[in-house]
Amino acid sequence: MTTLLQRVKSKMAIFAHRKARGVLDGEYGSVFRGRSLDFDDLRAYIPGDEVRDIDWKATARHGSPLIKRYVAVRRQTVLLIADTGRNMAAVARSGETKKDIVVMALGVMGYLAHRHGDVVGLVSGDSAGTGSVPAKGGEGHLERLLRRVHSSTSGDAAGSRIQEQLEHVARTVKGRHLLFVVADEIAADPEMGRLLRRLRAQHEILWLTVRDAELAAAGDWYSVDDSSSLVSHLAQSPAVAAAYGRAAVERDAGRENMLRQAGITEGSVAGSHDVVTALFALLERHRRAG
Amino acid sequence: MELIFWGLIPLAAIAAAVAGRLALRPDRKANARRRPAAHTDRLTMLPEYQAALRRHRRWLVAAAIACASLLTSTVLAAARPVEVTTIRPEQHNRDIVLCLDVSGSMSSADAAVVDVFARLAEDFQGERIGLTIFDSTAIQVFPLTDDYSYAQEQLKLARDAFDGKPGTSGFLDGTWSGRGSSLIGDGVASCLNSFPPGTDQETGNPPRSRSVVLATDNLVSGKPIMTLQEAAGIAKNRAVRVYALNPGDLDYGTGADQPGAQLREAAEYSGGAYYALDSPEAVSGILTAVQETEATALQGAARAVVSDRPDLPLGLALFSGLALAAAYRRLRP
Repeated sequence: MTTLLQRVKSKMAIFAHRKARGVLDGEYGSVFRGRSLDFDDLRAYIPGDEVRDIDWKATARHGSPLIKRYVAVRRQTVLLIADTGRNMAAVARSGETKKDIVVMALGVMGYLAHRHGDVVGLVSGDSAGTGSVPAKGGEGHLERLLRRVHSSTSGDAAGSRIQEQLEHVARTVKGRHLLFVVADEIAADPEMGRLLRRLRAQHEILWLTVRDAELAAAGDWYSVDDSSSLVSHLAQSPAVAAAYGRAAVERDAGRENMLRQAGITEGSVAGSHDVVTALFALLERHRRAG
Repeated sequence: MELIFWGLIPLAAIAAAVAGRLALRPDRKANARRRPAAHTDRLTMLPEYQAALRRHRRWLVAAAIACASLLTSTVLAAARPVEVTTIRPEQHNRDIVLCLDVSGSMSSADAAVVDVFARLAEDFQGERIGLTIFDSTAIQVFPLTDDYSYAQEQLKLARDAFDGKPGTSGFLDGTWSGRGSSLIGDGVASCLNSFPPGTDQETGNPPRSRSVVLATDNLVSGKPIMTLQEAAGIAKNRAVRVYALNPGDLDYGTGADQPGAQLREAAEYSGGAYYALDSPEAVSGILTAVQETEATALQGAARAVVSDRPDLPLGLALFSGLALAAAYRRLRP
């Protein structure tokens, strides 16, 4: 049986073949590297590394770009925050279950952190309750985290409410961490905005939105909330589809605005095949945003 | 309004209840081919969707009503709605046998009689009419019948024969056997045999009034088996009235043994009447006399008449079917 982590690794391997090997690690390192002033050593430049880390003198002597590495004063803690409510057992825009995309995204991020030597923790739950797993290193630990998310997300779970998990983090987590939040298309609301600004003041936050299925597109749907079915030909009628499209655009704009105001970088992913690409773009954007 | 097969109604109600129960039973596998979606309220709470849903539901209700109405009306139609009315049919209980002497001297009178009856037959309702011709022997052209179109057809044929139209002489075949001519008594007796035997159980009278219209000049040549008087006796026995028409009455005196007088006596003995046909009142006189015998036209016993009335339920079913088709057209995705 392939473990969830193996799937993540193979996904990353495919990506690594397309992009230069190590780009992701470079991106991650430049975002999450705990900087200190203690110089460690030099290593060859990997695309994605921070340009300001290039040791220009050494590069001039050596003939190829070299990067200064510093001794990390502390291990970073990456806190994966996932929604495991029943909304995540629904279908994503790509037609896959959103849970699979969530697990893939958490896996990629967790594995990057693990390779970087950081410890990874998990805060997950639904509207009924939130659980957390303390941060630890090791692939086994990461696999356990992914399994926890994978198994607790089902159609029988309570409703989704990512605020609960974020509040849990705000209440219980001390110190500065890197938060990686995976949620679906949440709607903006002022309460949430305040909470995000409060968290952002303490932590570094990356936000990945898993795109919801287009309900106005072809297909027969039922609600994960109450199992009621949608009358598909009504949903696909031009007037309803147009109104739904307008509402979706407004909602996306509201969420982006809320996250931007809180200083959070957001990426979005439609299916598991573009998780790695989306994460790469997210890290890139976050690094640019500084 | 009554129903013949009223037992269908409870059966249909039970069938409808079972079908409704099956149809309305919550289907646990309904969502098996559907895919789970989150945030469906973001679609269902849209005013556009709500409006479309309301329209959809209105058509669903219309379809349900049309369906129920279609089923109800077809069940009603299948149960055979009938209207039961009691009628007392007025019957024209007359049997008339035209008894025509076709000896050579009579053809014009016969043509007149046949002509009159061909006209009368148009107005007959329930009367039965028969035609027997005789000369030396009698031929029954057609027995008592209420098939007036057939009777008229035969009367017209007879008339053509009496008028001597070419190609019609075969009509009279068999009336002449060489034993004489105008054997009146035999002819009348044969005509009397046209009436069905039997009498009414209660009154002892025949169920229908009987009359013979006899056209003859009573000029016998030959030896009949039965005399006119004997034939008149049989007629009286069988309650048959003989109405005699004599086109040749003027030729002889008024003696009691004259042919016309004998004929009159025989006719009146049977309860009928005697007319000289060449007098203008002949036709109307016959009519009057024959109408009088209609006094016995009985009022038929009251009868219940059951007539199917499926028009209302079937019309409703048609309308419901059309409404259902329209609703289906709107509901079809």
